[in-house]
Order: sequence, then structure tokens, then C-alpha cells
Amino acid sequence: MNLALLSHEWLVVALGLCLLVADLWTPASARRILGYVAAAGLGAILLYSLIAVRPELQPACGNMYVLDGLALFFKRFFLAAAIIVLLMSAEFFDRLQAGIGEFYALVLFALTGMLFAASANDFALLFVSLELITVTFYVLASFQRTRLNSLEAGVKYLIMGALSTSFTVFGIALVYGISRKLNFNDLAAVAPQFGGNRIFLFGLLLVLVGLGFKIAAFPFQLWAPDVYQGAPSPTTAFLAVGSKAAGFVLLLRVLFVAVPDITAQWSRLLIVISGITILYGNLCAIPQRNIKRLLGYSSIAHAGYMLLGIAASAATIANTTQNPGAGAAAVLYYLGGYLFAVLGAFTVICLALRHVENEDIPALAGLGQRSPLLATTLTLAMVSLAGIPPLAGFFGKFLLFKAALAQGPAHPAYYWLVAAAIAGVVISLWYYFGVVHAVYWSKEAANLSPISISRTMRATLYACVAGMFFIGLCPGPLLDCAAEAVKALRL
Amino acid sequence: MNVGIEHYVVVSAILFALGLLGVILQRNLLIIYMGLELMLNAANLALVAFSRFNNNPDGQIFVFFIITVAAAEVAVGLALIVALYRKRQTVQVEDLARMKL
Repeated sequence: MNLALLSHEWLVVALGLCLLVADLWTPASARRILGYVAAAGLGAILLYSLIAVRPELQPACGNMYVLDGLALFFKRFFLAAAIIVLLMSAEFFDRLQAGIGEFYALVLFALTGMLFAASANDFALLFVSLELITVTFYVLASFQRTRLNSLEAGVKYLIMGALSTSFTVFGIALVYGISRKLNFNDLAAVAPQFGGNRIFLFGLLLVLVGLGFKIAAFPFQLWAPDVYQGAPSPTTAFLAVGSKAAGFVLLLRVLFVAVPDITAQWSRLLIVISGITILYGNLCAIPQRNIKRLLGYSSIAHAGYMLLGIAASAATIANTTQNPGAGAAAVLYYLGGYLFAVLGAFTVICLALRHVENEDIPALAGLGQRSPLLATTLTLAMVSLAGIPPLAGFFGKFLLFKAALAQGPAHPAYYWLVAAAIAGVVISLWYYFGVVHAVYWSKEAANLSPISISRTMRATLYACVAGMFFIGLCPGPLLDCAAEAVKALRL
Repeated sequence: MNVGIEHYVVVSAILFALGLLGVILQRNLLIIYMGLELMLNAANLALVAFSRFNNNPDGQIFVFFIITVAAAEVAVGLALIVALYRKRQTVQVEDLARMKL
């Protein structure tokens, strides 16, 4: 056992427990401050991680847990996302009737699950970390108990989440039954000989169903729009960024560490799922009126774009190419840009639609006059999500498409996939600019009172904008980190 | 008759399919939840049987994790369903359709 390797997780759990205890002695009026304390604590952990922790290949807990470059990349990603989500929920506190202290603590516990997921090297840890995230999110999604939409979102997430869990567990049982292995490295050693075993392949497929649910890929995306719309905005933001990224890191580990040979056979399946997910998400987003629901469909489309990178990597396993990790590295880079755009958009939704019952797009009318900062941030977030230069989303999509096109000469299907993705990008311009249109040019603005923004929220918004610009204009540092991180995979 | 691994796997697959049918066909949230639990326990049965016939204890240890996590999930899930019932006086899935396009 090498418990020192689990320092991130211990620290976050300790912070969460301290917060729960501190909540008992804090008067109700001051509880909001706890959110800033928690965010500051996470900031310290992130700083410690950046300065003191180096990726080591030492495994802990009987090789269930690894701390390699990929794990470290995602741990820092999750910590950064959780900091912004905590600041957002401190702003949101007046709309959470149940205790705000518990909300902060639950965010930290969900974060712990994500940190474990980043390091999972065993089906047992995969299952436990996935469940820690999912069960915490049942509570977070239904936290506004007096709002029917929030409860409904929670119950829908509960049923769909529990269903996908059962699929995952049954899949793990079948894989274990045939191969006798739960550990990814052990499984990689024996998996090639089961390439033709139908029960083994069926089991793996069921595991992928569970992960497909987490990232909201077609055909397991049905929950996403409803849950995104009904859940409190900070929860939705964390679901869109943290939970989705956790699904992707587990997907990368299962596909490229545990069963790389079988992944190479499945590249066609990945291409089809990716293409349908992109088109479904973008087409269904067009008629939406609720901005959170629109972002739910857009998050489905973004899962499709990132699956495109994974599909491109799957093809590199079989044929050796110049740059085998390009697809997976592009996925990591894309997630970095996605983080700032989505969190920026949800921070604006939190602030601008404070007194509105439903977050409909027409309610954003006049935002350009009410608060230029909020309007600019939302516009930049939409532009980045749509993939227009010079923001982060453009370069991310460019790298993903480039990785897929590099596989085109060997498999023409990749050309079709990129064509579908470009069609998706063009469709998405329509609805993203619908939001921008409502912000600046809508004529039906009823309320033109200026919106006051606290200093921390101002700093958060600036940080999101700076992140989008920095990642888009100088992609070098993040791209190097991503390329370093994917060396942990067997590509 | 010797009871072999195939028998266990077939029984667990049947239980899993019954649970899935319950989830798809039933309209009451509590019954759907029972179906979900049945699916999880079908997986547990398969894991224990594989573990016994493969002479490998990992599967049985994994089952403990699944049982614990399922207990947590039930606690949260039933609390949610109760909260929904207090608000709406119904646990039928047809009534969960406030959010639409």
C-alpha cells in the first residue's frame, strides 16, 4: 500500500468533512462564506498538486489505483472545475432552501469520486468511483426540494443512472467470468485471446453502455436535457463538466489500457456512435427555448465531438502512424476549452436569471444593456462552444478533425464522420447565435435594471474569459500537457 | 444432475431480463426501482458464481462493494421518491412530464 499517492483524495475528503462539522457551528447567515472557504481550500490543493506532485507510475492499493500523467491531468481539471462550481453555488445560496453547507460538502464528495475515477485501474474502483459521483449527483440535482422541476430532474437521473449502473455491473460480471481479471493491466495481458468470445465482448459492450450514459452519448442521452434543465444551475454546470470528463477518463482507460486490441476492432462502432451523437445533439438543440436545456443538447453534441477523437485513436492501434496519441490528446485539449466555456455560460445564467422562474432564452433580452460583462462572457462562451477562432473551441475542434482526417486514407469512414461533424458545427451556429441575438438585439426587453455582480463573481467571469482566450491563442502549454498525459495509454 | 456454471449464468441472465422488463413496462416508480434492484442482484449472483467456479476470490469481494453501494443508492432513491410524493401525491411516471420542449 502506498497511501501517500492518494493525497489529493484524502485532502478533499478531509475538507468535505471539516465543512460538514463547521456547518454545525456556523450561524445560518454566515454559511454562505463556507463556500468561499471550500473554494480556497481546493485552490490550495490545486496549487499543491501543481507544485509538489509529479506523475509517478507507482500503483497503490494492489494496482487498483495509478497516479500517472493522465490521472494527474484529470485531477487538476476536476479541481479547477470544482472551485468555479463552489463559487457559483455560494452565489446561488438564496435559491437553495435546504442547507447550503451540505451542498458544498456534496460537491466535494462528488469531486472525490471524480478524483478516484481519474486514477481507476480496476473495474472495482471504476464502479465505486462512478457510483460515488452518480449517487451524489442524485442529491445535488434534486436539491431545490420545493421546486418540482428539480425533483423531477433528480428522479429521472435516479432511474436512468441506476439502470446504467446495473448494465455496467452485469457487464463487469461477464468480463470477469470469462477472463478472471478485474484489473486493467491484467486484463490487457489476456484480453487478445478473448477477442472472439461473444460473452466477453457482450460484457464489454455493457460496460460501455454505463460509460456512454455518463458522457451522454447516443443512445443513452435521453436523461440529459431534462436533468440539465431541472437541476440547480451549479449542479448542472458540474454535471456538464465534471461528470462528463469523469466518463471520458474512464472510457479512455477501459478502451486504451484494458482492451486496446478489441477497441481496434470496434473503431467502426465508435464512428457510428460519434456521428449520430453529433447530429442528434445539434439538430435537437435548434428548437429549444430554455437555455439550460439548449446547453444540455449542446453537451450531447460535444460528447460526440470528443468521441470522434476517441474513434480516431482507436484506428491508430491497428496501424502504426506518425502520431498515435493525437486523437486522445485532442480530447483532453478539447475538455480544457470546454471547461471554461461551459462554466462561464452557467455562471452568467446563475447571475442574470436570478429572479426568473424558468431560464428561457427570451429572459436574457436586454442583457447587453443590463450588464456588459455578463453579456460579453455569455457571447464569448457561445462563440467558443460553436468553434469560432480565436477561442478555445475552434482549435480543439480543429485538432479533433485533424486526428480523424489522418485516419481517412486507411478507413474512408473517417471522412464521412468529419463531414457529419462539420455539418454539426454549421447547424450549431444557428442556435448559439440565437442566444447571442437574444442578448443584444432582442426587442422585447421588459426589465432593463442593471445587475450587480459581486467581486468574486467578477473574478470568476474574468478567469473564464481569460481561460477561453489563453487556451485558444496559445495552445502550446495545454497541448504539451495533453500529449504528455496520453502517454499513459497504450496507443 | 450436476449444477454447473452455465445454470447460474442462465438464472442470473433471466433475473436481469426480468428486472429490465419491469423497468421498461411498469409505470410505478417504486416497482421500477424494485426492477433495478433485481438487475443489480442478478449481476451479484453471476459474480459470486463465476468467483466460485474460477477459484478466484476477487469477484466475491467485489460483490460486497456492490451491495454497499446499492444500499446507499436505495437510501437516496427512496428519499427522493418520498419527496416527490409529498409534492405531487403520485409516483406514476406519466406524471413526470413537466419539462418538455
